[in-house]
Amino acid sequence: MPQIITPDTAESALLRLTEVVKVYDGGDAPFTALKGINLDIHTGEFVGIIGKSGSGKTTLINMITGIDHPTAGEIIIDGTPVHSLGENDLARWRGRTIGVVFQFFQLLPTLTVLENIVLPMDFCRMWAPRERTERAMDLLEQVELADQANKLPAALSGGQQQRAAIARALANDPPILAADEPTGNLDSKTADAVFGLFERLVEQHKTIIMVTHDNDMANRVRRALHVSDGEIVEERVLRPRHGA
Amino acid sequence: MHAVRWRKVFRDLVSHRFRTVLVVLSIATGVFAVGVVMGGREILVREFDSEYSASVPLNADYFTMPFSDPIVRRAREYPGVEAAMGRHSTSLRYRWAGSDAPRSISVVGIKDYDDITVQMLVPEDVRSWPPRRGEVVLERAALQVGKYEIGDTLEVETSEGKTESLTIIGFAHDINAVPAQFIGSETGYVSFETLPDLGEVKAYNELLVAMSGSDLTQREASLLAEDIQRDVLEANSITVLGSYVPKPGSHFLGDIFKAVSLLLLALGLLSLLLSGFLVVNTVSALMAQQIKQVGIMKAIGGRASQITWMYLGMVAIYGVLAVLVGLPASAWAGTQFIRFAAGILNFRVASYVPPDWVTALEVGVGLVVPLLAAAVPVRLGTRTSVVKAFNDTGVSSASFGHGLVDRMLGLFRGLPRPVALSLRNTFLRKGRLTLTLTTLSLASAVVMSVFSVQASIGQTIDDLDAWWRYDAQIRYERPTNRLGVERVVSSTPGVTGVESWIGANATLDRADGTTAQGFTVYGLPYGTRFVAPELLAGRWLEADDTDAVVVNTDARKAEPSLDIGQRVTLEIGGEKRIVHVVGLIKGQLSGSLIYMDRELLGGMLSEDGVTATLIQTASSDPLQQRKALDAAEARLEEANYRVVSTRTQDELREQIADQLGILVAFLVIMAVLLAAVGVIGLTGTMTINVIESTREIGVMRAIGAQHGSIYQIFITEGLAVGFMAWAIGAAAAYPMSLGLTELLSGAIGMPLSYRFSWVGVGAWFGIIALISVAASVAPAYRASQVSVRDAIAYE
Ligand SMILES: Nc1ncnc2c1ncn2[C@@H]1O[C@H](COP(=O)(O)OP(=O)(O)OP(=O)(O)O)[C@@H](O)[C@H]1O
Ligand SMILES: [Mg+2]
Repeated sequence: MPQIITPDTAESALLRLTEVVKVYDGGDAPFTALKGINLDIHTGEFVGIIGKSGSGKTTLINMITGIDHPTAGEIIIDGTPVHSLGENDLARWRGRTIGVVFQFFQLLPTLTVLENIVLPMDFCRMWAPRERTERAMDLLEQVELADQANKLPAALSGGQQQRAAIARALANDPPILAADEPTGNLDSKTADAVFGLFERLVEQHKTIIMVTHDNDMANRVRRALHVSDGEIVEERVLRPRHGA
Repeated sequence: MHAVRWRKVFRDLVSHRFRTVLVVLSIATGVFAVGVVMGGREILVREFDSEYSASVPLNADYFTMPFSDPIVRRAREYPGVEAAMGRHSTSLRYRWAGSDAPRSISVVGIKDYDDITVQMLVPEDVRSWPPRRGEVVLERAALQVGKYEIGDTLEVETSEGKTESLTIIGFAHDINAVPAQFIGSETGYVSFETLPDLGEVKAYNELLVAMSGSDLTQREASLLAEDIQRDVLEANSITVLGSYVPKPGSHFLGDIFKAVSLLLLALGLLSLLLSGFLVVNTVSALMAQQIKQVGIMKAIGGRASQITWMYLGMVAIYGVLAVLVGLPASAWAGTQFIRFAAGILNFRVASYVPPDWVTALEVGVGLVVPLLAAAVPVRLGTRTSVVKAFNDTGVSSASFGHGLVDRMLGLFRGLPRPVALSLRNTFLRKGRLTLTLTTLSLASAVVMSVFSVQASIGQTIDDLDAWWRYDAQIRYERPTNRLGVERVVSSTPGVTGVESWIGANATLDRADGTTAQGFTVYGLPYGTRFVAPELLAGRWLEADDTDAVVVNTDARKAEPSLDIGQRVTLEIGGEKRIVHVVGLIKGQLSGSLIYMDRELLGGMLSEDGVTATLIQTASSDPLQQRKALDAAEARLEEANYRVVSTRTQDELREQIADQLGILVAFLVIMAVLLAAVGVIGLTGTMTINVIESTREIGVMRAIGAQHGSIYQIFITEGLAVGFMAWAIGAAAAYPMSLGLTELLSGAIGMPLSYRFSWVGVGAWFGIIALISVAASVAPAYRASQVSVRDAIAYE
């Protein structure tokens, strides 16, 4: 049974959000999507963000990945003040620190699956050029796509594309993986496989933050944050499966 | 490069072949237009100038009583003379199998073809050289008026009224000869041995002098010419019948040439501007389309600078391809263009290679302009925050529903859905719309202006018709008895009225002792009904005038002292007269003319008689007029009056129209080029719109849209842009064509009347409708081929 406990407030938090506010000012009137979020996440945690449509889940994860900027508040990740970085530094930092998985996969259509995975290493100059392909193949093997390496993304099924996208997110071996509804477009069996992959990664001490609609998934993550109207209204922490 | 990001660049180029071809073509069009126009202009001027300066153009030309070699030698030794030569020239009538009516030929007899030192003559296509007795070599411009062939014979009427056959043995080129199409008279070169056969004496009657010094002024040339006339000719009792000192260093077609080159320059700058727009438009659209991918790349760690280089690299590849296409294409078209120009302007081209700076400019347009054009959109694209890039739909949907445009569109509620949708699309992409519209509007304005310039030239010629109240004119070899010729001519069937004029060359003596040459004085009855002068100032000639003259605008322009109320000294027939300028009339495209009463002019000249008879005929049909004129000429010859040339006003109008037609031809080339740039621009825009709307199209197909509706959407959008460009262009065409006409008029030194061409506006409406449809059909076809599956899968 899930057991509600208070969040760990140790100083060693990998990721810390303090009073993060996001106001969208498009449209007729400004809209406050995040109303002062405080959140700590530690290394090796598998965090699920759940909530109704429009509650602010995507907005929140975009704050963490630096894809969007907060209107107010601080975001410190592994000692880096993400909220104060410029676009350019953000890109470099993100490339090495956070792997991003999108709801709609977002593989580049003109590159093969393998090339899509090499691309982040190329951008961040990680590993020697010759090693990159090797590493990309390893990653593809991990996601069981080695046989699809030289196909274009359009020739893959949705689940395969999502797994390729996860491999890409892991390309630079980032400590954090952020995924916005990674299983939203997949059938339950494929979704299960992706989830299993995430669990294996957590075992390898990756920190994973995942937005999901799926209650089933939400119940399987170690820590679940319930977002409603731009606020974290509830937190549950599951007893770890492999001891504590 | 191995890096995967460069592989993406190449892969994008290859997998979006249609887009690549389009972008490359757009840029290549700019390279092409600039290359053809700027290169064409440079080559034209360079080749013309080099041939002209190598031709030893004359600085003074004297028509005299016969003289021989010692005079030529004296002229050559005269200080300040670079070269001098004598020749025998005469104007004769001839018949030729290729033409029904007799034609005029200016026969030039040259004693030694190896000793031509002034006005170089280059044999081009000859069976033998030089011409022997009974042979003639035609100046090659003759080929522009008739299909003369080697071996044809010309039946020349000699001065004694006999007929002599001359065989054409080839064609030669003299850049200084007035091309046949401009004066309605060919030039033929014969040997001295042929002259007696033609009833001419074997002696020189024309002295050509080239003066030394490259920066000779008109004044210096006139002064030296007077000295030579006095010391070399008159001192040796050689009577000078007429002389001519052209503006040093300027070819007789120089003004037309200047106008053409000015037009080309204007066109060159315009095409540079247009191709710039085209490139900016294409590249910004490309970036807009890539914005989401930019977002993805940034999300996975791509830095703005890395992504910027990728896209600049992509644009550079487009540029290199465009240069590879545009350079040879413009070289080819430029060669065709120069051939055409060299044909009508009658000069030889030694090299079709454009100067290096033109090539550099082409490379610049192909490479640098796209990169500069790309810089801003690429920078904006790579600076866009990732979240904005993801939310980008190519349109700012937030603002829709608020703008003026939308309210305007709201007025058309009755429109069918697809039409309303496409209009909405057109206006949504405001930036691109602005650029496309600018390009197409500019092209439209130029095309419609060209129509108006052409209409203005037509108006100018119509105005000539208003001035001419006669149908044909006969000129005599020497002053001839008026009553005698008028009796013969007026009794010719078809002739309803005659009037005879006296024409004489005049020189104006300025107060400072210098002279101005090149005026023609006409003596005509003051109450003439054969011309209808358009008075600009002062008054026309009157019955009791004693020293009154009326000048035309050309004369006034050439010599500002010929102003109303001024008394000036004219030297006519060797006598100096003080005349009083009483009126200014509009010029008639026939040079600097001074009019006075016939009796008055007759009294000033030693030789009595008229030099031309003007004829009114019963028919308004040019062929009938020509017939009556030929009949009158035959009767005059029968009565032993020597005719030197005949022409109907219709023929003259044709000649003038031909000359101005050169300008029109160049203008049309200009218009076509610009229209092409516009078409490619519009096609590009439409295609990019289709690519951008792929998902939207797929969705529409999914909910049941037929091929027809998809076509309707894109063609309506194309037409909307076309018609807007037409309206803006039409408004701009008025000031533009007015300016262009002024410019031309200034350049060729002829006052041109102005007429706005409503026909052009109407015609362009039709043409732009066709162009818009044509530019949208290919993109619309692509759109109709979009499958629902592709659309949904799209990126
Ligand atoms: N660019 C924007 N401009 C204005 N309002 C926005 C913008 N993006 C999101 N919002 C609003 O902010 C709120 C939170 O949006 P968000 O995308 O974070 O929701 P979500 O929880 O991810 O929903 P879903 O489960 O449907 O993906 C929503 O009410 C939405 O309307
Ligand atoms: Mg969301």
